[in-house]
This record gives sequence, structure tokens and C-alpha cells, in this order.
Amino acid sequence: MNLFTSSMLLTLLILMMPVMMSNLNIYTKSSYPNYVKTMVSYAFMTSLIPTIIFIQSGQDMVISNWHWMTIQTMKLTLSFKLDYFSMIFMPVALFVTWSIMEFSLWYMHSDPNINRFFKYLLMFLITMMILVTANNLFQLFIGWEGVGIMSFMLIGWWFGRADANTAALQAILYNRIGDVGLLMAMAWFLFNLNTWELQQIFSLNPTNTNLPLAGLLLAATGKSAQFGLHPWLPSAMEGPTPVSALLHSSTMVVAGIFLLIRFYPLTENNKTIQTMMLCLGAITTLFTAICALTQNDIKKIVAFSTSSQLGLMMVTVGINQPHLAFLHICTHAFFKAMLFMCSGSIIHSLGDEQDIRKMGGLYKTLPFTTTALITGSLALTGTPFLTGFYSKDLIIESINTSYTNAWALMLTLIATSLTAVYSTRIIYFALMGQPRFPTLILINENNPLLMNPIKRLLMGSIFAGFLISNNITPMTVPQMTMPTHLKMTAIMITLLGFTVALELSLATQNLKFKSPSNSTKFSTLLGYFPTTMHRLQPFLNLLASQKVASMILDLTWLENILPKSISAFQMSTSTMISTQKGQIKLYFLSFLITLALTLLTLKYI
Amino acid sequence: MALIYMNMTLAFTVSLLGLLMYRSHLMSSLLCLEGMMLSLFVTMAITILNSHLILASMIPIIMLVFAACEAALGLSLLVMVSNTYGVDHVQNLNLLQC
Repeated sequence: MNLFTSSMLLTLLILMMPVMMSNLNIYTKSSYPNYVKTMVSYAFMTSLIPTIIFIQSGQDMVISNWHWMTIQTMKLTLSFKLDYFSMIFMPVALFVTWSIMEFSLWYMHSDPNINRFFKYLLMFLITMMILVTANNLFQLFIGWEGVGIMSFMLIGWWFGRADANTAALQAILYNRIGDVGLLMAMAWFLFNLNTWELQQIFSLNPTNTNLPLAGLLLAATGKSAQFGLHPWLPSAMEGPTPVSALLHSSTMVVAGIFLLIRFYPLTENNKTIQTMMLCLGAITTLFTAICALTQNDIKKIVAFSTSSQLGLMMVTVGINQPHLAFLHICTHAFFKAMLFMCSGSIIHSLGDEQDIRKMGGLYKTLPFTTTALITGSLALTGTPFLTGFYSKDLIIESINTSYTNAWALMLTLIATSLTAVYSTRIIYFALMGQPRFPTLILINENNPLLMNPIKRLLMGSIFAGFLISNNITPMTVPQMTMPTHLKMTAIMITLLGFTVALELSLATQNLKFKSPSNSTKFSTLLGYFPTTMHRLQPFLNLLASQKVASMILDLTWLENILPKSISAFQMSTSTMISTQKGQIKLYFLSFLITLALTLLTLKYI
Repeated sequence: MALIYMNMTLAFTVSLLGLLMYRSHLMSSLLCLEGMMLSLFVTMAITILNSHLILASMIPIIMLVFAACEAALGLSLLVMVSNTYGVDHVQNLNLLQC
């Protein structure tokens, strides 16, 4: 029992050590990255201890260390919640981060600022751990903002490139819109329940939770790139591949879904919010799967795949299965990080070539990467008894047998088959056929720094689903019986997707390339969403304000209303009325005659 | 009413006639304007002195000031007309073109 608390805090302390050491001399040596990687691996092993204790005994724990301040009746402390979600997520996240750090030792080898890169990755990991283990919303918010900031600094790592800076700013802006939702939820909890602690919120069990849950849904939309606030995720591929593997596939983008999972006692009583989450997730997963079909950049295809899986997680939370969504988070981390690392291996070997139309024939030249890529794609699509099967198939079964609207179900099923389609597209273009890259490239994947992490994640992609789902405490009862055609839905539509994609690719590979149709343009331009939202809106705003400033203010208000209108009016009326010459003498005469007539006729003045 | 009032009223009327009916020069119109001012001044001064209304003694002086201003204004208009045409014949003064 004592070992639970102390090893948990020891894990966090091990993670903080290299950041604190960065002020000393070790930061300038070239052994610093290796030191960071080793510390992360030690933290992983230390974090297995509390996880195994939790699995064996099933006891949650809350560590409440330090009383920071009390604002009238609300107490703010530093408290860590070590329950089902944080205890299982921590080893998974640390394992994936360990592998990614070892991979980036190979990938960023020639970068002069590699020490700073590792420090940023570690700071990101620390803030992610703060977010995951937070017991009150204030600490969660600290972690939330921290991962946002580190994402900004890591996406814009190569800041000399204008596209990278734009992408980093885009990530910050979209996340900020989501943060408004989180702040609204925090304010509602502050005013109505007088607390930010999760235990008190759940025990008070408020009835009218529409507003804070809508705020949390907005926060998840921003952070997890659901439809409406999604363009930052494909743009975030401007960062280095380890950043894409860590932040934008496994850990940061699941923070939004994690927040919604944390609040499951509130969402399971609110049908409206569940319906909203279901519809939003269904739209997201289908839309991003459609966009992934016609992309030509391998990292963008994997990014859209991540976005589609995030939509699937949102759908799962929407049918009131938070534990399944959490399981999908954990299993998804393994194969998605491995897919990114395989992409990084291909990119580096081909001399920084990211376009799949210029790859090909890597089946013979990069056998290990090929193996990992194919295994990861199979795990992603939910091949039976690989990792993805244990979470994804359960999700599809639950959504088939639950009382939900058929439209969301249909969208999710279509998106599942599209997952198979774009995975086949990656495999077909990158690995099969004849090479389409220049012949003077040295292709070499023999570095152990590259192979060992991919090997570890490969083992994870195959076995982790089985290990995790057999060892965790069952929190819900899965659906045991269902008709055969419902049970076979997932596998059937995945096979359909594979078959259709392969047939189309092989049948059309020698045809002439026609100019794209409207649906292709819709998919390539990402549904025209960036075009309208990023370009059209600011243009209309600026045009309107220019018109206001120049036409309305200058021309109309300052010039035309009084001065020019009076003069124009007078001139027009005088030219209209006067039918005679303008001699003044005659006017004086008429004045005199009028005066005389008045004096003569009106005697009573 | 004393006779002086009738005298001044007559003088005012004659000057008014002269202001509104003049033959060829604008200058005569301006001179009649001065005549009107003079008759008004005398009327005002006699009234005030007759009724011993000491506090109103400043009114004639203020009227003199305003008359001076308007004389200056009239003269400047005359100069402008003269600049354009050389003489101040009234047939030149036309609203259609000054």
C-alpha cells in the first residue's frame, strides 16, 4: 500500500529531474538526449508498480499534498487522482514516449538543438501527466494549457519555415476556442457547486448539467480536433515526425476525449449531451476519413486517420461507454505512434520525401519498416486478435446493439470501411510496385536506435490489446449476445474496404489521369473548410471595415451630410425656382413694394 | 409724440427708399445704409435721454459698432465686385454669375 503512493510520486519526480538539470552543465553535452531517454524508461518501469498494485487490489487513491489557498469557502490544493484511468494511461504513455524518444535520437540526429528538442518533449510529457492525474479542474487546466503551449513550440520547431509558424499559430487559435468551453464549465462548477474537485462534483450529482457539459464538449472539440475546430491537426504535420507521433497521435489529442471520459458520472445522466457527442463524433469520423482518401502526403493521411479515430472515440463516449473509449485511447496510442515512426523512417530514408506518389517499391528495400507498417495498418483497421480488435470491434458491436440513431451508426460504419481504404492506399503507393524515387538515394534502416523502438511498439501493437483487456478490472458489462450479421459487421465492411481499394488501385494503375471531378476536389481541399473559414471570413471582415471607414465615415458622414448637401440643395432649388435673370436691383424693388403694401393694408401692426 | 420722432422716421423711410431703388452705382446703396443708421441712432439717443433711461445708454454705442461692421462688410463686397468688373454698376450683379 505504501508502495503505491511513493512509487507514483517517484515516477513524477524522475520525469522532472532532467528538466531541472537543464540549468546545469549536463544540458550542453551531447549525452543529454540519451539521459532523458533513460530517465523516461526508468519512469516507465517505476510506473508499472502502482499500475500492477491497482490491477491486483482495485483500489483508487487520491494524493492531496499541499494546500495552496482557500478562496472564501473553496479550497485549492495540489491533488493527484490515481484511479482506473490515470493508472492505466500512465504506463502506456510513458512506454510510447520512451520509444519515440529513442526514435528521435535517430531522426533528429543532425539537429544542432537536439538538447532543447528533448527538453521540450519532456516538458510536454510532464504537463500531460499533470493533466491525466489531476483531481481538480484547476490542476487539469494547468496541464491543459501546458500541452497546448508545448504543442505550439514543437510544431514550430523549424521556425524558419513560414508554413510551420502558421500551423503553430493555427493550433494555438483553435485550442483557444476550445479553452473558452473549459473555462465556462469551470465557472459553472464554481458558481453552482462551489468546488473544482472531482469527488465533490460527482457526489453532489447536479441535475441540470447541460451548460457545463456543453462547455466541456467545446473544449474537447478544440483539443481533439472534432469537426468545426479540426483544421489544425493536419496542419500540425509541419512539425518533426517525433512530434507528430507523440503529440498528435497518442497523447495530446486524446486529452479532450480524456476530459469527457473523466466526467462520465455526469454525462451518463444527460441524454442531450450524449446525442450531441454522438452526432459530432459521427460527422468528424466520416468527414476526416473522406479527406484522407485523396491526400498525397503520407503524414497527412496518418493525421486524418488519427482525427477519424478521435471521432470514433467521441462516438463511443456518446453511446455511454467511456471505458471502451479509454481502452481505444490506450490501444490506439501503440499502433498510431508506430505508423508515424514508420513514416518517419521512410521519409528519412528517401531523403525527406513525403509525397507518396514519389515512393514505391519499398517492400524489398525496407523490409522491417514494411512489416511494421502493414502490421500497424492491420491493427488500425481492427483485424481480429491484433490490438485494435479488442477496442474497435467492441465499439462497433456496442454501437450496433445500442439504442441510438441509425444515421450516426451508418456514418461510423462507412468511416470504418474508409479506414481500410486509405490504409490500403498508403500500403499500395508507398510499398508496392516499382520505385518512383530518384536512384541515387541510400536506403538504410540498420540503425538499432530506429529498429528497437519500432520493434517494441510492434510487439505492443500485436499483444497490448490482449494484455490490457484481460488484466483490467471490468467496469461495464459488454454486450454478449447479438445476431450473427451484427457481430460480423465490422469485419465484413473492413474486408469490403480492402477489396474495393485494392481492385480500384490495380485496375486503374495504367489509365490516363483525368482532371479531378467535383467530389475529388471536395476531398482534396478538405471539404472547402479551410478555404471558407480561413480566407473568406477575414476577407469579408476586412472588406466591410474598409467600406465603413472610407465610404461611411469619410465620404458620407464628414463630407456629404451637412456641407455638400446644403449647398447642393440650395443650388438645385434656386435653379428650379428662379425663372428670371438674377439682377439684384429688381429684388430690392420687390422688397420695397412688399413693405409698402404691408404698411398700407395692415394697419394693426 | 414729439416732432423729432416723425422727422427721424421720415429720414429713415427716405433712406430705405434710396437703399432699395438705386440706379447705377452700388455705392449709393451703401451710403443710404449709413443714412438709415444715422436716423436710428438719433431716434434711440433722443428716446433714452427723454425718458432718463440711463442704463440703456450703451445701446446707441453698440449700434454704432455694429453699423461700422456692416459698413466694412459692404465695402468689402464693393471691392470684390470692383475687382471683377472694374466699376460697380448694378447691372453686373447677377445671381447667375457674380
